[in-house]
Amino acid sequence: MAITFIVGVIAIGDYYTTLTAVKDTFTVIKNWGVVLNAFALGLGAVNLFRVHGRRISERKTSDWMFSTWLLFMLVVFAAVGLGTGKFETSNQYQWIYNTIYLPITSTMYSSLCFYMSYGAYKILRARNIDAFLLFFTAVFVILGNTPIFPAYVPGFFHFREWIFKVLVGGGYRGIRIGIGIGAVVLGIRTLLGLESGYLGRR
Amino acid sequence: MSAWEKLTALPREIVLALVLIAMIIPTLKPLGLPLMIGTMSKDWYNTVDAQPEGSIVLFDIGFGGGGYPSLGPATIASFHQFFEKNLKLIIMATQVEGSMMYPLIMEAVKPETNYGVVYGEDYVFIGYIAGTQTAMAGVLGNLPAIVSVDYKGTPIGQIPLLKDVKGADDFDLVAYITTSGDVSEGWVYQAYSAYKKDVVGGFLSMMTPTMKPYYDTGQLLGVLDGVKGAADMEFLTKHPGDAIKSSDVLSFSQTLVVIFIIIGNIAYFGAKGAKREDS
Repeated sequence: MAITFIVGVIAIGDYYTTLTAVKDTFTVIKNWGVVLNAFALGLGAVNLFRVHGRRISERKTSDWMFSTWLLFMLVVFAAVGLGTGKFETSNQYQWIYNTIYLPITSTMYSSLCFYMSYGAYKILRARNIDAFLLFFTAVFVILGNTPIFPAYVPGFFHFREWIFKVLVGGGYRGIRIGIGIGAVVLGIRTLLGLESGYLGRR
Repeated sequence: MSAWEKLTALPREIVLALVLIAMIIPTLKPLGLPLMIGTMSKDWYNTVDAQPEGSIVLFDIGFGGGGYPSLGPATIASFHQFFEKNLKLIIMATQVEGSMMYPLIMEAVKPETNYGVVYGEDYVFIGYIAGTQTAMAGVLGNLPAIVSVDYKGTPIGQIPLLKDVKGADDFDLVAYITTSGDVSEGWVYQAYSAYKKDVVGGFLSMMTPTMKPYYDTGQLLGVLDGVKGAADMEFLTKHPGDAIKSSDVLSFSQTLVVIFIIIGNIAYFGAKGAKREDS
């Protein structure tokens, strides 16, 4: 809690003052932050081994095969990276990434469009006034976002812009201001030691 | 089951097959359907275009393989503009996979061949920096304190472009393209709010509603809005690529989605009317 307070005060000092000592200290803290974040990635890998290793050893569901494949590829990537000593700059590492991971992840993401198309067909029905407003807005946003429609009828584009600027912008600003005020309050409470959830306490 | 009811519950396989066909046709035979250049993309282009020669741009590759089909073309088109304008480019990645995207992008742009620029003098890649907003604050606050070597392992003291770059004051423009909400809002907070830097941002179309308020207030000077923004950028920079080709696919598939939505509603009300008549 004392560490949180000290780091928090230095961070605030860095933003609101031009004192070199504060700025230099905060630079060191930011460095620690970057190192800790990088370390967290390593910790994530260890955790993957723990969780999936247990799943493989227990074999309660058929998922264990996917867990095996996951850990196998994790080892392959790490071995190639360590073996070449260059990780992402090595041709071998890039080859594995570009020929295996890249197509899979692109396909996974692209497949969303099929589910969204079917979801739009099933869900966007004007069953009541709320659903009608959603249907109306969705259709005009899609029309404004589809290259061919605004090219022939620029009004579609301008109407989409109006929806984004007035309806979405107004609502979203309200949400963001609320979140901002909440974050300030949470920050103050954390600095004062009134919030200790991040330490695993209730 | 009446005809109306059947229309309200078309089998998923039929809907998905038609969407697939609507994608395959323009992919195999691009039609070159017209395109209206959006104001947000124009503003990105004009903001970069207004930078004097030799200005330093900090660019963040904030996406990985999943975002590459949508955002890769926008990044490639943007890099063409940066190099054509003789801007100096410091590239970083706030997403782990960003450093894997860098070679793909450079392979498409070919800066040495196409623009005669030199790595280390005209552009440099400082690699992935962990911590997202901490990384942004670090690079803008004191770059040499956060980054010791570039992507190739060269100490930054030996890189001519980075010799005089200390932090935010040395960057004329901050640009990013990302799939992450934290990254897209993070640059507004860290670069605009903290240092009043000029910022332009590119992201997925579905993120536009949440990011557009920053554009409307001038915190973002330009926006590349998904594949549509990328297609605009390819048109503006006169480097047609995958995004312009994808525009036809977007036009076809999204038109089909609108048709399905309309069919669903007509059928829904038809079925409702038929039920009322029966009772």
